[in-house]
Amino acid sequence: MILRGIAGLIATLVLWTAIVYLFDVPAFLLPGPVEVFNRIVFLFENAKLTRHIWVTLSEIVAGFVFGTAAGIFAGVVFARFPRAERFATPLILLLQTAPKIAIAPLLLLWLGIGPTPKIVLIAIVTFFPVMSGMVTGLRYGEGSFRDLATVLKLSPWQRFRHIELPSALPSVLAGMAVATTLAMTAAVIGELIGANEGLGYLLSSGQENSDTSVVIGMVILLSLIGWAFYEVIELIRRRSLGRFQLS
Amino acid sequence: MSQSERMIDIAGVHKTFVADHGTVTALEPVTITIKQGEFISIVGPSGCGKSTLLRLISGLDHASGGTITLDTAGRKRPVGFVFQEPVLLPWKTILENVRFPLDTAGVSRAEADKVALDLIKMVGLVGFEKALPRQLSGGMRQRAAIARSLSDDPPILLMDEPFSAVDLMTRDTLNDELLRIWQSTGKTILLVTHSVDEAAYLADRVMVMTARPGKLKCVHDVDLSRPRGEDTKLDPAYHALVAQLRRDLRTPGVVHGERAH
Repeated sequence: MILRGIAGLIATLVLWTAIVYLFDVPAFLLPGPVEVFNRIVFLFENAKLTRHIWVTLSEIVAGFVFGTAAGIFAGVVFARFPRAERFATPLILLLQTAPKIAIAPLLLLWLGIGPTPKIVLIAIVTFFPVMSGMVTGLRYGEGSFRDLATVLKLSPWQRFRHIELPSALPSVLAGMAVATTLAMTAAVIGELIGANEGLGYLLSSGQENSDTSVVIGMVILLSLIGWAFYEVIELIRRRSLGRFQLS
Repeated sequence: MSQSERMIDIAGVHKTFVADHGTVTALEPVTITIKQGEFISIVGPSGCGKSTLLRLISGLDHASGGTITLDTAGRKRPVGFVFQEPVLLPWKTILENVRFPLDTAGVSRAEADKVALDLIKMVGLVGFEKALPRQLSGGMRQRAAIARSLSDDPPILLMDEPFSAVDLMTRDTLNDELLRIWQSTGKTILLVTHSVDEAAYLADRVMVMTARPGKLKCVHDVDLSRPRGEDTKLDPAYHALVAQLRRDLRTPGVVHGERAH
C-alpha cells in the first residue's frame, strides 16, 4: 500500500520532469521538481519557512480544537433540546452555505490581520461536520443506554463522559476527518486574503512576484500537511472502531 | 404482614398513553404488596403491560395514576435493573462494566474493584475481567449484566425478560445461578418472563397478566420447596402449577362489557 503510493509519487515526479524537459517549458510557467525543491530549501534557509509553517499549523490546530469542542458541545445541546436545534439551525445553515471566501474578509475586518480571524474561520468550518457527527451519534445511539443512565441516576456530566461521548465517538471522528480538508482550505483562504506570515502568505507573495517555484512549493507543502493531518485523524478513527463501534 | 416486611407497595397503579386514535390503556390499575426478599415472577403475553409495570417500579416511566411505594429508606438507587439485552457499554471491559454503578456513585477504586471482582466470581466470569463485551457469548454478557445490577447492592432487582435472548440450555443454567444469587443476597426480585415454566420454577409468587388491555389477572402462590433444582421439575405440584398458569393465560378472564366506557 505505502510502496505503491511511493511508486505513484515517483512516477509523477518523473513525468513532471519529462514534460519540463521534453517540451522545454519555460521556468516561469512550470519549473521542474528539482527547481521547486531547491526553492523550498532556499526558503527554509533564508525566509524562515519553518516559522511560516509553524504559524499556519498552529492556526489549524487551534481552530480545529475550538471547532471540534464547539461542535461536540452543540451536538449534545441539540440532541438534548431539539428546540435549541430548531432555533439555531437557520443561523448555522447560513454560516455553512455562505462561501468561506466571502466570510474571510469580514473576519479580517473585525479581528485584524493576525492569526485570530484564521482560527475563527477554521473553527467555523470544523464545527459543522463535528456537530452533525455528534448529533447523529447521539440520536442513533442505543436507547437502552438511556434507560441504564436513568436507572443509575447519572448526572448530565456522567452521562456525557461515560455514555454519550463514547457512543458518538465513531461518528464524531468521521466528522473530524471530513473537517481536516475544510480546515486546510479555510487556513489558506484566511492567509491569502490578508496575512503577513504563514504558508498562504508565502503563496500569495509568490504569485505577486511571479515566482512559480514558490507557488508550486507551497501547494505541495500544504497538500502534504493536509494529507498528514487527515491520516492522523483517520488513524485515530480506525483505532477507535474496535472498541467504540456499537455492534 | 408487618410494616417492615413490605418492600414494594403498588396501589392502583395504571398507565395510559395518548395515541393518534385516542387513549390507549397499557396497564389497568394494579394493586399488590411485595414482601422483602420475595421472588416474584410476572408472566403474560406481549402487550400485557408486564414490562410497563417493571418500568414504572424502576422510575423509567411514570404512572398515569396510583402510587408505588418502595421501602428502601431513601436510597439513591433503590433498584437494580437487568434489561432484555445486556446493555453493557462496549468500550468498557467486563470489570469496568460491573464496576460502573460504583464508579458513578463515587466509591473508591479499591473498594469498587473488590466488590466487582467478588460479583464476577459469583456469576462465573473469572478470567474475563479484562475482556470487552463483544468477546463474550450472549449468556456470559447477561451474567455480566446481572453482576453489574448487583454491584451497588440495591435491595430490589428488576429483571425484564433477562434470559430471552440466550439458548435454552444456557437459560436453565442461568436460572439456577439466579436462584443461588437470590438465596445468598436476599434481594427482592421481580422477574418478567413469557415462559410459564421459568416463572413457576423460580418464584414464590407468580403474577399472571393478560393483554388488551394489560391487566393483572391473578396471583398464584408457589408451594414448592426450596432450594429448587432438577427434582422440582419432576414434582407433580410444579406441573400442576405450570398447567394452571397456561390455562390462566389461555382463557380470557375479563368481563368484556367492562371496556365499554
